[in-house]
Amino acid sequence: MSFSLRVLCIVGAAATFLIVTNSIRRSRMRMDDAIFWVVMCLGLVIVAIFPGIATTLSQLLGFQAPSNFVFLAVIAILLIKLFTLSTEVSALKSRVNELAQEEALRSPTEAPPDAD
Amino acid sequence: MRILAVIPAYNEEACIEQTVRSLVETCPDIDYLVVNDGSTDATGRILDERGLAHVDLPINTGLASGFQTGMKYAQRHGYDAAVQFDADGQHLPEYIPAMADALVEQDADVVIASRVLAGERLGGARGIGSRLISTLVHLTGGVRLTDPTSGMRMYNARMIRLFAEGYDLTPEPDTIALVARKGGAVVEIPAHMQERQGGQSYLDLSHVVRYMARTCASILLFQWFR
Repeated sequence: MSFSLRVLCIVGAAATFLIVTNSIRRSRMRMDDAIFWVVMCLGLVIVAIFPGIATTLSQLLGFQAPSNFVFLAVIAILLIKLFTLSTEVSALKSRVNELAQEEALRSPTEAPPDAD
Repeated sequence: MRILAVIPAYNEEACIEQTVRSLVETCPDIDYLVVNDGSTDATGRILDERGLAHVDLPINTGLASGFQTGMKYAQRHGYDAAVQFDADGQHLPEYIPAMADALVEQDADVVIASRVLAGERLGGARGIGSRLISTLVHLTGGVRLTDPTSGMRMYNARMIRLFAEGYDLTPEPDTIALVARKGGAVVEIPAHMQERQGGQSYLDLSHVVRYMARTCASILLFQWFR
């Protein structure tokens, strides 16, 4: 792992950490959801400080360069996150629809009885 | 037999009153329920002022959810059958009794009002899309439909329960294919339809593409996992 990539990892992790903590301060993100990003930052910092982890793993798995391994790992983690977000959005849509339906069904307007 | 006409309505101020009037005049024995799906126009006000039977969804939830609302109502009020009826005046209520007869006599789960059986030709892109969906429904569900995209369908009590309690079921051909594949009886009767009587159609290109993509993917791929 090149020195510049290590610096970028740390800078990126620090920036993400600031954004996440700021979101919590402004009540824009729940702590449940912030944990993922904090762990992600922590992981990046650890890999940047101890590049031996990435080097060892990339050699073990047959990557040409440790940076390739880091990129792939980050992409994989983000794809998993994206998928879980997608299922969460689906669940939220269903719940919102169900709430709206139950709210609507609580007070139906009946047609007046037949005139005849 | 107690039948409920479920009429999902989203911004149908131009024709909702006329649609309900002609339904009530033609089929006085049939109950109906307009599902106002978070309309932003005068639909809600018209329903209130004219005293038409309806429920109001507080937000726009889409056709499938609006229809499901009607099916939940039908289930909770013990209806034996429910007919999916467009708010825009395309569907002619005089065919509802014939659909009910077919439902009972042929012991069907779903009865579809088919324009093609009545001698109409679905021309242009609509005809091509319809034939494509027909083929897919036949291949996977084993039932031959002449007019799979007809929006006028009657369902029996078993289907009412399915729609009321099911997850992500659209009142569209993909659900018909699913029902047919699982052994449900789907039949068609001949019925004419007319042009929409007012308001705006959603048949623009992006809607059509999304509709076809969703319907084809659902029939060809997703239904095997449901």
